[in-house]
Amino acid sequence: MIQSRSLKHSVPYIISILFTILFLYAAITKLLDYAQFKLQLQQSTILSGYASSIAWIVPLAEIGVAFTLLLDRFRLYALFASFVLVTLFTTYIVLILNFSDFIPCSCVGVMSALGWTGHIYLNIFLVALSVVGIFFNSGKQKYFFKNTT
Amino acid sequence: MKTKFLKFILPAFAIMMAIGLAFASETETVSRIGYYDHPILGVQSAMVSDDCKPDGALLCKFNGYQLYDEPSLSTELGKN
Repeated sequence: MIQSRSLKHSVPYIISILFTILFLYAAITKLLDYAQFKLQLQQSTILSGYASSIAWIVPLAEIGVAFTLLLDRFRLYALFASFVLVTLFTTYIVLILNFSDFIPCSCVGVMSALGWTGHIYLNIFLVALSVVGIFFNSGKQKYFFKNTT
Repeated sequence: MKTKFLKFILPAFAIMMAIGLAFASETETVSRIGYYDHPILGVQSAMVSDDCKPDGALLCKFNGYQLYDEPSLSTELGKN
């Protein structure tokens, strides 16, 4: 029982710390290389029309989710948001690789070493990780709401 | 002490690590820009995929236009 309660707290917490590092890292690299990130979006056949707004929305959303993950009370919502973000990124990469004439370079940060295919595998792993976090945290959140209402 | 570590020190360390990593890898960023001759707009720039290099065998194109290494359009980019 104690072990189960400890798992319900520590698993989402560790996953949240990992996602915080990942999202903050991704957001800052995008903002540091904003011009290149925007240029890549402009050249994407799927997002070219919304490149300017998306170039701001994506890193700001990542920063927002990264800090919300650190707040115990809102962790479940942040884990859901992480799941949505990572799923959207994965869908975008799959669409770009399969249906776009032009594949933008994967040249920002660790992406250069990873490549697009490696990035897809990493994203699938992250989607699974967010699901695990949601699963463990939802049990804890139910307990929290039961005791506060 | 354990609660303080989990609530403040570990998240702060995670934030600092992410910021540090982002700045550290920023210097490794490879910016590859290719150029192409647009019939109406003239010489335009485009991001080039990593495997497009000067004098590669399979020519690299952007929207059907040949990509070059310089704005002078002298060296063609291609894949090996």
